[in-house]
Amino acid sequence: MLEIAITGLGVVSPCGLKKETFWANLKKCQSFVDEIKRFDASGYPSRIAGQVHQLDAYSPISSRLIKRIDIFSHMALVASSEAIADANLNLELINKERVGVFMGNALGGWLFAETELRDLYIEGREGISPYMASAWFPAAPQGQITIYYGFKGYSKTVVADRASSALAIWYGAKAIRDKKVDFVLAGGMEAPITPYALLCANTYGGLSKNNLKPKEAYRPFDLYRDGFVLGEGSGVVILEDIKSAQARGKRPYAFIRGIGFSCDGFHYCRASLDTKALEFAINECLVDSKFSKEEIDYICLDAEGTVIADALEATALKNVFRENLEKISLSAPKSMFGNLLGAQTALDLIVTVLSMQNSLVLPTINFEQKDPYCNIQPTPNRAVNREIKKALIIARGRGGINVVLGVEKF
Amino acid sequence: MRIKEDVISTIAQVLDVEKEKLEVDKSLYDSVGVDSTEMVEIRIALKKKLGVELLDREITNRQPLNQIIEIIEKKLNANS
Repeated sequence: MLEIAITGLGVVSPCGLKKETFWANLKKCQSFVDEIKRFDASGYPSRIAGQVHQLDAYSPISSRLIKRIDIFSHMALVASSEAIADANLNLELINKERVGVFMGNALGGWLFAETELRDLYIEGREGISPYMASAWFPAAPQGQITIYYGFKGYSKTVVADRASSALAIWYGAKAIRDKKVDFVLAGGMEAPITPYALLCANTYGGLSKNNLKPKEAYRPFDLYRDGFVLGEGSGVVILEDIKSAQARGKRPYAFIRGIGFSCDGFHYCRASLDTKALEFAINECLVDSKFSKEEIDYICLDAEGTVIADALEATALKNVFRENLEKISLSAPKSMFGNLLGAQTALDLIVTVLSMQNSLVLPTINFEQKDPYCNIQPTPNRAVNREIKKALIIARGRGGINVVLGVEKF
Repeated sequence: MRIKEDVISTIAQVLDVEKEKLEVDKSLYDSVGVDSTEMVEIRIALKKKLGVELLDREITNRQPLNQIIEIIEKKLNANS
């Protein structure tokens, strides 16, 4: 059996681009959420978000290409280039027909679409960029990455709401395990801070409306939580078999060990009040990863931040781990920079891997008062030193998609 | 001469490349790697800038830029 190693990390996030900046900022344990000022969002019920700054300053992408793609593809291209560099992957020496790209997002790319469709309706068919056809759709970033680097291996895009990149990472790992490809760029991207995408996210109703105090708005598991805060960005990891990494002289960060997944089968939007499906996914991940409950050091939480979802997640964890849960560090570092929807698990994976490398559990910020219905300790407000060998990452998509990834330190 | 300059500067602006990179004896594909979707953009931009209607197969990314300029000159001169 091949062992799927993570050998490169690339990140574009509201708290920094490049993994070094990202980690240094996360260690500050502060919020990177702000009021949206990119466009007039004053009429939106939730008008705060974790926003990416200085993308162009870090971008190796030509202005000719940037004009033809949505910003979600641009962010994915920047994260991919960071990940490739971090993995010391020499593209001249590898067979590009054996490189796959597996990406996830929930919404597609709306900024390009919104402005171009406006021009279509005002000016007619010659007012719209012909690149509209290829810029907006969810598989566009995967396509742009493969074209940019000339990768020709088996590739896929997954759309599964907030579990999109969790599944993409798993399908990427599986493609290596099935020997379809030798290297995989896996992760996700999301750019929901646009007039229409923000409107859709508001309609969904899971967003915090604490607009007066943006930095205190995302407070998962706290008694006064009122939803999550949107974030934008991209996370990409390089996956390869451990033997491939060793042959290249590249020390891996960690291994992807297994997955558990299930569907609530309950409602198109809400999660089931019965936590059995989520518990099944957690248990299945433990079995698939060959982890015992006693061995888990850390769980990166889904942390939707809504009253019901957090209580359900806490209940499922209690039911699965029982007395062992007290020995496991739990946290939602995404409380610092927002929830990146389809790209979130990619960032959760990068956070978990960096936490393993630095033996530091990042906290859940804004946790002030415990909710009796969320009877867990999500590492409140301050980072805690702890060696992390085995970890789980929980991702839940709208409508009851449950995905749990098992990760082990190298 | 004026038409030639206008065509080159319009194409350079659409592609976001320097005018000097557009070699007149080479195709747009060979000089700057223009793809078929960019050709759609170029046709629309030339229509807006010069008022010349160009059909899909009339100008392509595989013919020399000189030929494209000639076709446009002929069309514009015929109209004037």
